[in-house]
Amino acid sequence: MTAAETIVDPITVEVIGSALTSIVDEMGEALVRASYSTNIKERRDCSTALFDAKGNTLCQAEHIPMHLGSFLGIIPAIRARYGEEEIRPGDVFIGNDAYEGGATHLPDIVLAEPIFAGSEFVGWAINTAHHADFADRGDAHIYQEGIRIPPIKLYREGVLQTDIQAMFLLNCQVPHERISDLRAQMSANRLGVQRMQALCEKYGTDRVLAAGDALLDYAERKMRYGISQIPDGVYSFSDIFDSTQMPGLSMTFSVEITVKGDEMTLVFDAPPQVRSALNMIYTALLASVYFAVKSIVDPTILPNAGLTRPLTVIAPKGSILNCQHPAAVNGRIDAGQRVVDIVQGALAKALPGRVSAAGNGCVTGALFMGEKSDGQIWVYLETIGGGGGARPSSDGLSGIHVSLTNTSNLPVEALEIEYPLSLLAYELVDGSGGEGEFRGGMGIRRVYRAERDCRVGIFGARVTSQPWGLDGGGPGATASHTVAGRDVQGAAMVVLKAGEIAEVITPGGGGYGDPSHRRPDAALRDVAEGRAKQISI
Amino acid sequence: MAIRIGVDSGGTFTDVCLFDEESGKLDIWKVSSTPDDPSRGIAAGVEEGLKEIGVEPSDVGFLGHGTTVATNALIELNGVRTGLLVTKGFRDLLEIGRQKRPSLYDLFAEKPEVLVPRDIRIDVPERILADGSVDLALDEESLRQSIRKLKEEDVKAIAVCYLYGFLNAQHEIQTMRIIEEEFPGVFLSVSHRVAPEFREFERLSTTVVNSYLGPVMKRYIERLSQRLDDLGIRVTPQLTQSNGGVIGFETAASLPVRTVLSGPSTGVIAAQAIGRMAGFSNIITFDVGGTSTDVALLQNGVCALTGEAIVHGHPIKAPMLDIHTVGAGGGSIAHVDTGGLLKVGPRSAGANPGPVCYGLGSEEPCVTDANIVLQTLNPVEILGGRMKVDKDLTHAAMERLAEKLNMSKMGTAEGIISVMIANVAKAVRVISVQRGHDPRDYALMAFGGAGPLHVARLAKELDIAKIIVPRTPGTLCALGLLLTDLRADFAVSRLVDIDAAGAPTAVESGFTEIEAQAADWFTREGIGADRQILTRTADMRYRGQNYELSVPVHSGPINSDTFKALAEGFEAAHQQRFGFVAEGETVQVVTVRVQATGVVAKAEFKAEADHGQDSSLAKTAERDVWFDGGFLRSPIYERAKLHAGNVVIGPAIIEQMDTTTVIPPGMKGSVDPYLNLILEAVQ
Repeated sequence: MTAAETIVDPITVEVIGSALTSIVDEMGEALVRASYSTNIKERRDCSTALFDAKGNTLCQAEHIPMHLGSFLGIIPAIRARYGEEEIRPGDVFIGNDAYEGGATHLPDIVLAEPIFAGSEFVGWAINTAHHADFADRGDAHIYQEGIRIPPIKLYREGVLQTDIQAMFLLNCQVPHERISDLRAQMSANRLGVQRMQALCEKYGTDRVLAAGDALLDYAERKMRYGISQIPDGVYSFSDIFDSTQMPGLSMTFSVEITVKGDEMTLVFDAPPQVRSALNMIYTALLASVYFAVKSIVDPTILPNAGLTRPLTVIAPKGSILNCQHPAAVNGRIDAGQRVVDIVQGALAKALPGRVSAAGNGCVTGALFMGEKSDGQIWVYLETIGGGGGARPSSDGLSGIHVSLTNTSNLPVEALEIEYPLSLLAYELVDGSGGEGEFRGGMGIRRVYRAERDCRVGIFGARVTSQPWGLDGGGPGATASHTVAGRDVQGAAMVVLKAGEIAEVITPGGGGYGDPSHRRPDAALRDVAEGRAKQISI
Repeated sequence: MAIRIGVDSGGTFTDVCLFDEESGKLDIWKVSSTPDDPSRGIAAGVEEGLKEIGVEPSDVGFLGHGTTVATNALIELNGVRTGLLVTKGFRDLLEIGRQKRPSLYDLFAEKPEVLVPRDIRIDVPERILADGSVDLALDEESLRQSIRKLKEEDVKAIAVCYLYGFLNAQHEIQTMRIIEEEFPGVFLSVSHRVAPEFREFERLSTTVVNSYLGPVMKRYIERLSQRLDDLGIRVTPQLTQSNGGVIGFETAASLPVRTVLSGPSTGVIAAQAIGRMAGFSNIITFDVGGTSTDVALLQNGVCALTGEAIVHGHPIKAPMLDIHTVGAGGGSIAHVDTGGLLKVGPRSAGANPGPVCYGLGSEEPCVTDANIVLQTLNPVEILGGRMKVDKDLTHAAMERLAEKLNMSKMGTAEGIISVMIANVAKAVRVISVQRGHDPRDYALMAFGGAGPLHVARLAKELDIAKIIVPRTPGTLCALGLLLTDLRADFAVSRLVDIDAAGAPTAVESGFTEIEAQAADWFTREGIGADRQILTRTADMRYRGQNYELSVPVHSGPINSDTFKALAEGFEAAHQQRFGFVAEGETVQVVTVRVQATGVVAKAEFKAEADHGQDSSLAKTAERDVWFDGGFLRSPIYERAKLHAGNVVIGPAIIEQMDTTTVIPPGMKGSVDPYLNLILEAVQ
């Protein structure tokens, strides 16, 4: 029994745990509902969390798993610059830098506000939101990717630092959205602070903090229990990583997972960091690994810092999976998706029947920018789902985001009102799911027509490699991106003239099991519904 | 015409409330439900109830009815084969939805069933743009072929949803006309009629659900009308919608999607009426059933409407009372998870085998069993003596769970209640603090079979000072039907900046359009001018936001004063909800709404004369009850014998057939003139 558990019994831990969940959920709702940019208000590309004073995540609202990377990094980054006496009630820290600022790429702006119960420093209210800005930049190194912000005080004891804000906004293409989104982020943290203070008042700060510690121990116990159910052994897997951002290049990522008792060590191997946005820093790798392991070992584990304790993650320094300054990182999530694929692929060997085939394995992004009739710049980013991997006893889901992201689409009727674009199609791609006893989910076809001249960049992976099937299942179909009828490859944005069309096709998911075992009635439905191209009996 | 009847047809029982308008007498009749054809149970219940009180069916002046037919058909996927017509390029929108996977971490989670198979989702060449202009005219020939295909495919219903149908309904209207020519008689739902609001997927989902349920609801209503007619009941029956108002059967049959939350909404309406009687206007309702708990907040006697909810995985845009449901009820099973914490629910013991204490084979203790161990529930027999309790089995099961937790048996039983209350408190926070309301300004009203059992604990958790336990907490929904007005809600999207030159015209035309629909509805329902109430609201936001706040709008012509008031109302709402006002930002109207109320004569309860504080005549027994760490000898009272003015000092237990009320030490319960129990701290 740990020290925390001597102060609070398991019932109190559960009761206070419920209250903490309420708080981060409420912060998340407030952030989404008060924000302006489509990427946050409709696509919900943001996450909220409460931390203890030591910098451990107590509770995270379940939005975007990759954001856990920001949550791992921000407090150490603040503490590296500010001593405890410099952290004051009403301070708000802002940061986004991957190397100094606690985030995993520059558009994810993190706001952190310390929580004081009386005069006692008890923890942090934190949220991160993806600001769709910094478009049409270079990606040779991080200096090309946007303004870098180390954790600095946007507010000092409740007073807005207008000079800092002015400098930040001047570096943004859509300052009006940025300031409004920051306001929403501020108000979400304010709520978190107030609710946490009320909780400390109700239960006593000591008990709340003890319950927080106990929740970390609890997540750790569940993770350890889950790992202990996996047979001891060494399991490895490798896969190809290709990306439209580096045409023609295909890299091999591999992992060796050692399970011993209730602990797991994951050793990755990957090529050296690249002169492209695909690199990921170590905290982004950690977020990817934690997602992959939790999804297989026990999806119900609370996403807090406790679950990380039984895991050791090693990747060569200076590699694409553990990059060093000044590598560019904007597109780190595509590499992260492949990390999830290989971790799950390795665990499939340890736990047959518990792991699905590979999902579409990328975060296909379409980034538009242009000028409105009044000369103001508009920037619009969206990410498009694809097929989910088939499961051991059911088909994969079609048209979903997999692994490290789970953003909504933007309703067509919202998109067209806001931007000079028309959507001509948003549908599933016939026959794109891998065949099998259970079929992979289908990819998406999304077709845009520009109503005014603009620039577009379409970024994705799985253009040459395919999402793998499991246990005899076939692979999912690959992606393709065209602008005005031409295949687009490379990291640069290209011109899309008024009336021209851009088409994005995202990959399908892998199939599961021998296709000849598919139920005949299901196989017939597949043909009738265009899920399969032919009967595979 | 002296008898008013309310019927609540649930999964297990059908409750019939009979109220004699002249004498003020209230009778309740309970029969078993007949899930294969609920109309049978309802007719039987009404017939038996009337016989019991010796009243002729022709003397029934009102019959209102809450139903789970639509909800159940949706849960059990028992709707009809439905075809879908959508804008070219968007036939898979129904399956893609908002593109999110159902669970972030669980790879095995499923999306809700897609109600239309892919081969009968057909895209039609047509396109309207965001400004309402036609980009591609509707291809009538292609449409005709598609309709013929659906006919060959033997669909029983068709849903039509085109992009911007809410803004320019031209193509949808054209399509309706052609469907009537090609496929007369098929059940038809069209998006601009069902949910004329912005955001295509939610509108599409609502339209599809409406078609999917339409013929089921129609068949059910026809059967029920026939049975009631055979019985000799002359009045037109009414049905509750999710917005808490009742509508005629005809409207219900064409818009079944508006009845999916019919059941819980009636309870809230009853709570509203009882609160008014008891002198409470700010109430949080706490309706605890076997598997779930519903909570709702009434501010100034009114429960806010929400325009959208996700019902069994399907987004539905329809006016619904803002009720929040959590999977924790009397039957919720307690267990220890792999991390060693105690969890309660969402698994439930159900009716069979039910709790361990029923002795029907269940071995895992649930919330009801914890109450047996704590003796807050009668440890010998429950449900008014209809169910004997197996005490030894219950204690043994609790002991096993306690060993896993390394806690005492009593501590574990108490812990189950604490965890259940924590789950409910989370739901209450969603409808209160998350909406800018402080629960301490509200009274709690407990109903459902297990509400009054736990309400004092919940009040303590939320720092709520007053509790209302109505006279018949277990059958409150049926009672609610006797207390509700006719009501319909109308909405249309009008996206406009409030400082734009065309704003007054746009808003005015929106109200004109929906108020004409409301006038039609009044006529159809036979509501005279003196009984009509129209209430206007506007959904507003800062330009750039995508979620709206509801702001009241005055009646009469729309002018610049209107917009001044709207701006002020919006800023106040934004301040309350988000804690800030964005100075200098443009404010927009997104949707205008009208709530049409047809005032009907409602059951009026008669006050009982004050019988004085002495409650000793109602005291029937004593037993040890566990409160906060130890047993206390507590008197047991019989609810039926308590009269107006009586006071019961805690610790005490009040038993009645449909529920048990717990009054902990330090609290007292007073009986008000309408026989509600009011619980509060002893001064």
